[in-house]
Amino acid sequence: MDNNEKIKQIIRTLGEHKDSEAAINLLTEFGTNSSDDEIRELTAQTLIRKNTHESLRVVLISKGKGINDLSARVAMASINELLALKDKTEAIKILDDTIKMHSEEDVRNTARSVRALMTFSS
Amino acid sequence: MEIGKLSLHTTKSVQNKQNIKNTNTNKFSTNPFGVSFKGNVIQADVFESSNKATNLISQKSKMFASAVVSGINNFNEAFKSRINAIISFGKKVTSDVMDKMEKLGNTEITIDMEGIKNRLFPDRQYSVKQLSNKSVDELRGMWEDLTPEQAAE
Repeated sequence: MDNNEKIKQIIRTLGEHKDSEAAINLLTEFGTNSSDDEIRELTAQTLIRKNTHESLRVVLISKGKGINDLSARVAMASINELLALKDKTEAIKILDDTIKMHSEEDVRNTARSVRALMTFSS
Repeated sequence: MEIGKLSLHTTKSVQNKQNIKNTNTNKFSTNPFGVSFKGNVIQADVFESSNKATNLISQKSKMFASAVVSGINNFNEAFKSRINAIISFGKKVTSDVMDKMEKLGNTEITIDMEGIKNRLFPDRQYSVKQLSNKSVDELRGMWEDLTPEQAAE
């Protein structure tokens, strides 16, 4: 098992950890800033699956993270994970707020696209 | 003659006859059988020597028996002392074993099976099941160890 695989196991563990807030902080700090696409991808998916306001904010409104990641693979994986959510209420709310109020135009445009996808898919 | 005197007279006469007979056989007094061979009387020395041999044999047998008894006694003493030594050794061993068992009974033995497994299978500690027992801080430490360059940033 190489280091990447070990980190992935830690990320999967954090996704189910009972100390959710601390787990999200660690995923945000280390996972979303990783230089490895696979780590960032898995981190974004994990944060979306948590489906909390804090975890979704990171992957929806942060520039260069989640749906705004420069890697198409990471961005597409994040969008797919959002579309797979059973309860999309919190995600849609954050996307709406982002479309209305975010300072970065790129972030607003991405949020708008994802919001449209989620509307059509639900 | 009265009856009492008659009986006394008879008794005396019988005694006299016996005395006469004893006197006649006096020369064979040392030879109770009174047998002579070619005119010579076998002397009593023959029987005396026989008695001496018997006595000697008897004494020797007594000495032998005494030696045997003494030997048996010595053997018994040695046997008893060895048996006692063996018994005391057995008691000591039993006592020691009981002490050890008591100590073992009071000793709490803990085996870190997880540590052993992790050493035998290093990747096993990175299973989700193992990691889920750790706190987030511990996971952070593990993550930092795996990506020292990221932790330094």
